[in-house]
Amino acid sequence: MFSLRNSPIAKKPLHPSKAIMARRTLTIQAYLDQIQIIRDLVSLAAADADFREEESYAVQLAVSEACENIILHGYGQENEASIEVEVLATPGELRVTLWDDAPPFNPATNPKQPDWSTDDPPIGGLGLIIIHRVMDEVMYSRDGDRNRLSMCKRSPTFQA
Amino acid sequence: MEIDVKEYKRVSVIAVSGRIDSATSSEFENELNNLTESGRVNLVLDLSAVEFISSAGLRVLVTTRKAVKSAGGDVVLAKPSTQVNETLEIAGLDVLFEKFPNREEAVASF
Repeated sequence: MFSLRNSPIAKKPLHPSKAIMARRTLTIQAYLDQIQIIRDLVSLAAADADFREEESYAVQLAVSEACENIILHGYGQENEASIEVEVLATPGELRVTLWDDAPPFNPATNPKQPDWSTDDPPIGGLGLIIIHRVMDEVMYSRDGDRNRLSMCKRSPTFQA
Repeated sequence: MEIDVKEYKRVSVIAVSGRIDSATSSEFENELNNLTESGRVNLVLDLSAVEFISSAGLRVLVTTRKAVKSAGGDVVLAKPSTQVNETLEIAGLDVLFEKFPNREEAVASF
């Protein structure tokens, strides 16, 4: 379902000790079609963390939304600037951190979805809503001249 | 992403496969706009082969629904994939679209 055959991701071997985390890093250019590479990376890490498929998909979705926000709202458009990602997998937990060089942009404030009716459903702001509904933690900081967005998801179904 | 459109007397069936994300959603939107602007407002979206859909894809679904409803039509989903259902549920928009287990029942609903 999530094919990795064409993905330029090299999988690092897991440490023999289950308690040791698996760390993967990757840098992409800020083009929308590059986000799939990050989704593939998250998919690999989610398998290491023993996430179920629907949990993996949800985190891929949230990370994808965060990357899209960086490109379209942070940088303002697609360009050759970078998005750096680090994914840490421990049993039952994924932590994804994104760095970018765009002007300060804080997506960590939980958006309040206004009341809506089926006659007038929301169109904007869905990305932030998805990020906050999926992830257990969303933290933003400035890291020097860069934006740093750290998101954590704990599997509700994981059993050690 | 691949899109296949079949037009019947009263209904258009749009089958999409692959990923509907920010990189592909404009193509999806253009295809649906072409249909609605030519008066095709009863739409069945066969999303059984969609592997991934982001908020960019949801925005296309919502804006298309608004356009066809204002013209007296509707858009329904035929056998949406688990990924489509999951994205709709996470976004809280699953209540907007009637779903059918297959294309034939979706077409027959109009």
